[in-house]
Amino acid sequence: MTSEQGVVYDLGYQPHDGPRLGRRGAIFATIRDGLRRILGIRRKARKKVMPWVLFGIALLPVIAIVGWSFLVESVFEGLEADNPFAGHANIFNLTASMFLIFTALAGPELLIPDRVEGVLSVYASRPMRVSDYLGARAAALAIAAGGFLVIPQLILYLGLATLDSDGWFSGLVNNFSDVPKFLLASLFYLLAYGAPAFLVAMFAKRLGPAWGMYLAVMLLSSAFATWISSTTAGIGRYTALAALSINPDIVTDWLFDRSTFREGITGAGFDPVWSVGVIVGVAVVTWLIGLRRYRSLL
Amino acid sequence: MTAAGGNLISTSQLGHAYGDIVALHHLDFVVPAGRIGLVGANGAGKSTLIKVLLGILDPTEGAAEVLGIGVADDPIAVRSKVGYMPEETCLPLSQTAADFTVYAAELAGIPTKAARQRASDVLTLVGLHEERFRYLAEFSTGMKQRAMLAQAIVHDPELVFLDEPTAGLDPEGREEMLNLIGRLGEFGINVLVSSHVLTDIESTCDWVVMLDGGRVLRSGPLTGITGSDTVDVELLDDHTAVLAALRKRGAEVEVRGAVLRVKSADDAFDLIRDALAEAGAGMKKLSKSETSLEDIFLAAGEAE
Repeated sequence: MTSEQGVVYDLGYQPHDGPRLGRRGAIFATIRDGLRRILGIRRKARKKVMPWVLFGIALLPVIAIVGWSFLVESVFEGLEADNPFAGHANIFNLTASMFLIFTALAGPELLIPDRVEGVLSVYASRPMRVSDYLGARAAALAIAAGGFLVIPQLILYLGLATLDSDGWFSGLVNNFSDVPKFLLASLFYLLAYGAPAFLVAMFAKRLGPAWGMYLAVMLLSSAFATWISSTTAGIGRYTALAALSINPDIVTDWLFDRSTFREGITGAGFDPVWSVGVIVGVAVVTWLIGLRRYRSLL
Repeated sequence: MTAAGGNLISTSQLGHAYGDIVALHHLDFVVPAGRIGLVGANGAGKSTLIKVLLGILDPTEGAAEVLGIGVADDPIAVRSKVGYMPEETCLPLSQTAADFTVYAAELAGIPTKAARQRASDVLTLVGLHEERFRYLAEFSTGMKQRAMLAQAIVHDPELVFLDEPTAGLDPEGREEMLNLIGRLGEFGINVLVSSHVLTDIESTCDWVVMLDGGRVLRSGPLTGITGSDTVDVELLDDHTAVLAALRKRGAEVEVRGAVLRVKSADDAFDLIRDALAEAGAGMKKLSKSETSLEDIFLAAGEAE
């Protein structure tokens, strides 16, 4: 056959003789897909806008703080910038609201389309258990949220270390005790904000209402809990612990040994360990509800 | 192609109930490797059976084996070897066909590089090569069905469950889908096709399981089921004399308009020849009777 005539090849079907990674491969693929969903990677442009804008806004305070400190020290040599915001707990306070919106978007994005668009049927014919699926989705949120919460803290840690009068390395060593604290605080923010986002996403059918529902639950629970606990005594004061968005602030203050009076939980006389219990409890209950809810779907 | 023993699927007293509603009643059947048709009316239990075989639903009684593996014992092992195209859409609309097919392969444990190659090959096979970088939200019904078939076979499963694969397709799309399903057997993939359209099963499968009201009406090779021991003779004129001559010779005769369906313990063709000669009648057509799956389904349903 000559080249002028051209040839049509039917390549047919090639069986796969290579390795199969089994459950491990399925779990990693689900985590990677989850990260892409959260960040809008390989999606249309409008899916990328919000997560990256929020991430950018979350970075602004720490960049401003570190930049300001650099500026003061370089202009007024020998003068240490005494920046009242330059603390890890403060950075958490500044980024928390952006993180709340970020989780409001990410949680539903991870779970709702799979369920509503029937994609769970595909998982049902792959080597995965319900716990693998939910765990992989939670891991994707943890990785994205980890970046959201930890990167500003790392910038602060490294930035302040370079300004240390004893040198960069001494700065790292002197402030190293902050690292496990901000990692732990990030974990509590992730659990406190992420678990309710998942809980809403497990039942909501559309993204928009899920975002609204989540934000309402988080913000109104704190407002109502604070109000009810301040107006009732006795057993009524326990309602203060239902302030879902305030609990991680209290744990963070505790970790960084900072005392901030927060009406509601602090006012009702609860130690921070109560907030830890509530955060972990909500996360565990969410996990158990998820296993039950998805058992009949996957 | 299949596990030791050669059975693709076997069930033993398999049952499933949704609360008080019993969807599957004591199913006992065994099917060999190949292309299997699962037929039944809407609500017959086809989709429930597939979900039980995939381990999505737990049997409320009995047991099932797929590819020699107990579904209840090791559902992960079963899922490692099968693909599934559900009746309803299963496509993430915000992804491109290529991305989703790669992901579907990765979910089955295929390494990323091989998954990309396989996704490209399979999308070509189902006729979506040109459309692979389009978002699934932009696909027509026919294209979505093809994309669903692609995700079901991209990981080279030993067995693929296709639940109503031609639902919603126009005649041309349906024909193409049936051709694709027919080719899966050539690729060494066993197929279980569920459909309420009996002609789809007749044209693609070599074994059929009939379900009605959650019970197995019949399970057997299609050739054996549709093959017939009767002969049809279409006469030129009035059939009264021929009918009498046939009955005199002990034949069972069913009158179907101008056609006489003749069943006899002896050679029916010889019997018809003799009867025609005796009656001095002429015939238009003489052939072995063709029993459609629909006839058998209706007959089996009546017998139940």
